[in-house]
Amino acid sequence: MSVHRLGNWRAKSFVAAAVGLFVLAFGMAALAQVPEVVIGTLGPLSGDYATYGTSVANGVELAINEANASGMYNVRFVLRKEDTRGDQVQALNAINKLIELDQVAAIVGPVLSGETLTAGLIAQDSGVPFITPSATNPDVAKIGEYEFRNVITDDVQAAQMAEYAVTVLGLKRLAILYSNNDYGVGLRRSFEQTARALGAEVVAVESYLDGDSNFSAQVTNIAAQNPDGLYIAGYYTEAAKIAQQAALQGLNVRIMGADGFDSPQLIALGGPAVEGALFTSGFYADTEDELAKEFVQKYQAAYGSKPDMFAANAYDSARILIQVISEVGADRQAIRDGIAAIRDFPGVTGLTSFAENGDAVKPLYILRVENGRFAQER
Amino acid sequence: MGRAAPLSFVCAVAHLAGAYFSSRNRLRGQGGGGRLIWQQLINGLVTGSTYALIALGYTMVYGVLQLINFAHGEIYMAGAFAGLLLVTAAELPFLAALVLAMVIAACVGVVVEFVAYRPLRRSSRLAVLISAIGMSIFLQNLGLWIFGPSTRSFLPPFPVVSFEIGGLRTNTLHLLTLAVALAMMVGLQFLVARTKMGKAMRAVAQDREAAALMGISVNRTIAFTFAIGSALAAAAGVMVGMLFNAVTPTMGIMPGLKGFVAAVLGGIGHIPGAMLGGLVLGMIEVLGVALLSSQWRDAIAFAILILVLLYRPSGLLGKPAPEKV
Amino acid sequence: MGMLDAADAAIRSLINPYYYGILVTIGINIVLALSLNLVTGFTGQLHLGHAAFMAIGAYTAGVLATRTEAGFWVAVASAAAAATLFGIIVGLPTLRLRGDYLAIATLGFGEIVRIALLNLDITGGPFGLRGIPRETNLPLVILVVAVTYLVLASLVHSRIGRALIAIREDEVAAAAMGIETTRMKVTAFTVAAAFAGIAGALFAFWFRYLNPSSFGFAVSIEMLAMVVLGGLGNLLGAVLGAAIMTMLPEALRTAAPAVAEHRMVLYGALLVVVMILRPNGLLGTSSEHGWLEVWLRRYRAAGRPANGPRGERHGAA
Repeated sequence: MSVHRLGNWRAKSFVAAAVGLFVLAFGMAALAQVPEVVIGTLGPLSGDYATYGTSVANGVELAINEANASGMYNVRFVLRKEDTRGDQVQALNAINKLIELDQVAAIVGPVLSGETLTAGLIAQDSGVPFITPSATNPDVAKIGEYEFRNVITDDVQAAQMAEYAVTVLGLKRLAILYSNNDYGVGLRRSFEQTARALGAEVVAVESYLDGDSNFSAQVTNIAAQNPDGLYIAGYYTEAAKIAQQAALQGLNVRIMGADGFDSPQLIALGGPAVEGALFTSGFYADTEDELAKEFVQKYQAAYGSKPDMFAANAYDSARILIQVISEVGADRQAIRDGIAAIRDFPGVTGLTSFAENGDAVKPLYILRVENGRFAQER
Repeated sequence: MGRAAPLSFVCAVAHLAGAYFSSRNRLRGQGGGGRLIWQQLINGLVTGSTYALIALGYTMVYGVLQLINFAHGEIYMAGAFAGLLLVTAAELPFLAALVLAMVIAACVGVVVEFVAYRPLRRSSRLAVLISAIGMSIFLQNLGLWIFGPSTRSFLPPFPVVSFEIGGLRTNTLHLLTLAVALAMMVGLQFLVARTKMGKAMRAVAQDREAAALMGISVNRTIAFTFAIGSALAAAAGVMVGMLFNAVTPTMGIMPGLKGFVAAVLGGIGHIPGAMLGGLVLGMIEVLGVALLSSQWRDAIAFAILILVLLYRPSGLLGKPAPEKV
Repeated sequence: MGMLDAADAAIRSLINPYYYGILVTIGINIVLALSLNLVTGFTGQLHLGHAAFMAIGAYTAGVLATRTEAGFWVAVASAAAAATLFGIIVGLPTLRLRGDYLAIATLGFGEIVRIALLNLDITGGPFGLRGIPRETNLPLVILVVAVTYLVLASLVHSRIGRALIAIREDEVAAAAMGIETTRMKVTAFTVAAAFAGIAGALFAFWFRYLNPSSFGFAVSIEMLAMVVLGGLGNLLGAVLGAAIMTMLPEALRTAAPAVAEHRMVLYGALLVVVMILRPNGLLGTSSEHGWLEVWLRRYRAAGRPANGPRGERHGAA
């Protein structure tokens, strides 16, 4: 535990690894005359959302290093990572750079919905296929035929959770605390609608802003309504704090959420307060599934922490690109058609296909926090 | 008017709040409106004391240098990380870790002052402001580089007892936060009003050149001011890090902004003003959520802030600036 | 429009789209920096909410473009009008405040606008506003930059401009000399807001998607950094500052791929270094025709004790 916390070690080994990779890349390029294919990824590596963007970049990097080390492919994959700082101006520059200077064949990213809705249009215009591992805004699907999304959308997730809460758990008085961004609002709408349609009462709806630490006023409002379940529509960083502050205020109800919960950080930060929490996710890190287990081990060895949902979706997205490129070559149009034609790709997030609108079709689990681990509820 | 105004303002807010609560049935859950408002006022007090902690350091540096130290939030972050590592990796007892974190942050603050602000002593205030912004970006991203982007848990190294008084919930950590804020305010007030160094600080604040002529070492006084301000930021970082059980490289952004707002609200450069400004800002935020809407929380807080400034252009406790002739 | 399109085609055949995109962003930022310079550089009022006027312009243009039949120029004009209106509404009460109190009031206004955009339906709330056509191109941006520059240059050389500079130098003395300081300050603020609104419209028609998070406090701060870095009260300085602040993160991205991930560390450090080396901004003193001003000042001040170019009084004092 305490070794893991000494972050500067991680940083140092990271720099060493980066330098090593650089040298290795040059050495390999000189040695082997295999053709290169450039894959790009972009997302927030600095700023408020850096934790999510870094997970995505790590997932993609792991998949590409693995592919190159395996010797299974007759091409060498080169990764270009670009930082967007979570800001749409920089996202546009980053994707232009990937497409026009680095001549990427395909892209994993962007990470946030806002940057996807700006930068994605450029990729669409330029005919560069991209798979976003995390942008859940419904409008993302409307960008065009070069857009793919390897994450289960908000409406599906929230509806399933609401259905489970009302029909299986028998909860009657539900409260919602949502992050006031597209992810949180999307989840809130769908959860509220489904829960009401199934006959449950939504007794309190409160919001917060990303980066908030103090939720006491919202929790007090919610506690006053005496709910029997609390749906937190947001990411794990805030969800863990909300669960703790709810426990401190004596609001001990069933906590629920979506794939934004899916990170070992939820448990590391939330501790006993998140015990028993339920959430929907396409990725199950403590699974017995061999593929996912292997991924978790490799990720942990490379980056010193267990992967979250962002890393898993990014890893799968990169592996899909690698498989398609190894089959059809580096032609962007052919890659696009190849991704669209993927059926039941065996990912660490389950068997994955893409629907007509580019949205992934893959299994959704309901997970439970149990003894500091994730367990499958359904 | 004078000193009574802020108090009457707080009373008026509380009065309005009470009236609103009794008329609003959405809030008549569980225990009735009365208890709910008191619980929210406790929330406001805790929220406010976190802002006050940050505002105190802000306002002191401002008082001496008339500099909006945008890097204050990042020193707060550095202090929180120092405290966290001292408690977890070095396994120091809490008080030792707090003091040592304050010392480390003081050193960081002095270095920042030496590198980024001292060379600009004779330049325009805006030049120093931009230098401070650059420093803030630098430190924040350096933190991101060293510590990685994920949030770390900061469990208090002492037991936290949660208890109820008259149906109102609070805990020992809340009380400690408030106590630390109050102690820092009193200590700071003492330092500035009663010590020799404080006298030097006031002299430098009033007229730097005259102070230098009186034999005061301006550079040393300013470095000292930064050391104290940074130590206060570290104390705030450690307390808030424990209170919300979270330490991250970007944690300084919003609290830095809110701390600045609280300092101005109270009357910038005014030490009890920073405390009051922090508490009032916390109350406004919490009451905004309690009475109106959590969606509009920050908008309500800022709207009230602007109204207060229009009514009292020098903040709640600040003296109206004399017209320069 | 025809000529602009032809020019655009010619430019596009010469420049890589990556650099083309950066140039457009630089142009938009120049308009923002020039307009902010009028308030902060020439009038000496610390304004930390300029991104809000840009947001108002961007959303006005965006809403008109997506929900009505309004054409590009109508949308741009409406954006300017909406920003002007808000400039007056906000400027009238707040510009009575001095120094850092004004800074906080404008900061607060910026946050209120961002939160309103996040919570209103017409703006698309947190989902943002999409489906805006791409109408902005480089020749158009250059045209707007040129117009902005000319308008502001003639303004600062007019009677109004001299009044604004008088307010910056000493507000009390300016008032004593019969300058209606509040009216002048509101004028500067409103003109700046109008140009920020136009820049916002260009932004909307370039990025094709608007999200409240693009108009936060950090964006206002970045604009201020452009102005101070270039040189307060210097129109060319604002142009230079905007160009550098826009290019720097991109230059660090391409020039130093090994540290690209940590380029913001370098960016922050460089900002500090530049301010230390050039405290009055890159283009010297804080007024246009800097050398002339300095010379005149020396000439007039001969015999009086030397005074720094601006010293403590400057800016927010």
